[in-house]
Amino acid sequence: MRVLFFAHLKDVTGCAHTELDCGEVDADGLWDALLQRYPGLAPYRSTVRLACNARYAGPDTRFGPSDEVALIPPVSGG
Amino acid sequence: MITQVTLTTQRLEELPGPPATAGPVGAQVEFLGIVRSEENGRPIAALEYEAYQPMAECEIERLLNELGSAHPCHTVQVLHRLGIVPVGEAAIIVRVLAAHRQEAFSLLARFMDRLKQDVPIWKCKAWTREELARRFHPGPFRPS
Repeated sequence: MRVLFFAHLKDVTGCAHTELDCGEVDADGLWDALLQRYPGLAPYRSTVRLACNARYAGPDTRFGPSDEVALIPPVSGG
Repeated sequence: MITQVTLTTQRLEELPGPPATAGPVGAQVEFLGIVRSEENGRPIAALEYEAYQPMAECEIERLLNELGSAHPCHTVQVLHRLGIVPVGEAAIIVRVLAAHRQEAFSLLARFMDRLKQDVPIWKCKAWTREELARRFHPGPFRPS
């Protein structure tokens, strides 16, 4: 799956996007895979929301290989 | 409800407003969110915004549809600027056309609250005059 990073998370990961090969996973599985590759994301987990294909993920959302996933840190538009 | 959502690097002040509507519209409310000269107590020359644009546009539309059920309005235009926005220029313009002012004010106030909670747009950097001058020298941008 394609994973997008925004705002300060780009500095944490060193990139704006990456490809993650972790099959179909729930949010916990996705975070496990992300933290394995980017341990620096750990402090942000509690404040970051997940989005799947441009919609906020719900508690039952599953993330598959063809999905576009985004890590959404607290927003500050307007 | 007619909605028009635009995220752009263009100056918002130069973009056209919603089309004039005769008949049902008795109130037009306009809000401009303008970049201040200070951010977290530090003088700045500009703010830089970024967005997850497809999702931001969908979220704004979703919010407007949700709020429009409780606060029926005729037309809502949302313009949000991305990239570097100099002090004194608008980062966001929202125009609401409705039959009466109450609905327009209510929708506008609630929309701005929700935008700041849910729409994936970020102030990603506050630029000082010196930083801007270094970045754009000898380019055309000259912070005032």
